[in-house]
Amino acid sequence: MDRKTKMNFKNIFKLLPLRIAYAHCDIPCGIYDPHQAQLAAHTIVRMTQLLGEIKKEDQVKMQHDISRITQVKEKHAQIVEEELETLRNDYFKEEHFKQYSNLNKLFITTLSALSKARQTIDINIAKSVLTGTLEISEIFFKTKGFTPKRQTSYYPDGGEIVVYT
Amino acid sequence: MLLLSRFKISGHSMEPRIRHGEFVLVSSLPYLFKNPKKGDIIAFKNKAKRVLIKRISEIKGENYFVLGDNRHDSLDSRKFGRILHQEIIGKVVAKL
Repeated sequence: MDRKTKMNFKNIFKLLPLRIAYAHCDIPCGIYDPHQAQLAAHTIVRMTQLLGEIKKEDQVKMQHDISRITQVKEKHAQIVEEELETLRNDYFKEEHFKQYSNLNKLFITTLSALSKARQTIDINIAKSVLTGTLEISEIFFKTKGFTPKRQTSYYPDGGEIVVYT
Repeated sequence: MLLLSRFKISGHSMEPRIRHGEFVLVSSLPYLFKNPKKGDIIAFKNKAKRVLIKRISEIKGENYFVLGDNRHDSLDSRKFGRILHQEIIGKVVAKL
């Protein structure tokens, strides 16, 4: 089978619905924290802002800057995805999803926005990733018995972060 | 359960054969006429109704002892005990 046929063959299977299968490790460390996801979501917003601010004077420099900024945006999108999936699959339990009935939908909409944020340079979509991440963080802290608190971030992209008291 | 399902792997217990983030195809077809055998990589549902991927290490009647390939870092039958035939969803037939 040549490479092209192989690729087409693989693409057929992409039509099948996708589910998650766990190959769990045996380290019940219990260390979960949504701060990393928040930082990465802020970075996505900032990188999207920077892409919009690129000066079109020098074509070579412009291409160089777009490449670098997009690479950082993509890297942090991957971090958000991994951190949110860890919270969703490993930390949050069935009782959490029952208690916070919007939690599952929140994950779906945030991860869906994340895919769009990767594909576009739309600042509103980037901000919706941050908003969803902050809402998930608030629920996380509540399940830990803390009171979540939103405060203005000192990051250049503005926006808020969720901490706990 | 469909005859063929696509799964994304979360976790490291089946490394190096199957890595975190990879995609696999699971089929119930091989077990329609034959029983699972030692060495098969299977998908099954645990008590929390989550789908897990492990390799069959030992079979005693309807009970299956499953292990992760990455023995140093796997949550498997050594911890949660044997699984039942009826809990098996299918065999991992391909990596995508």
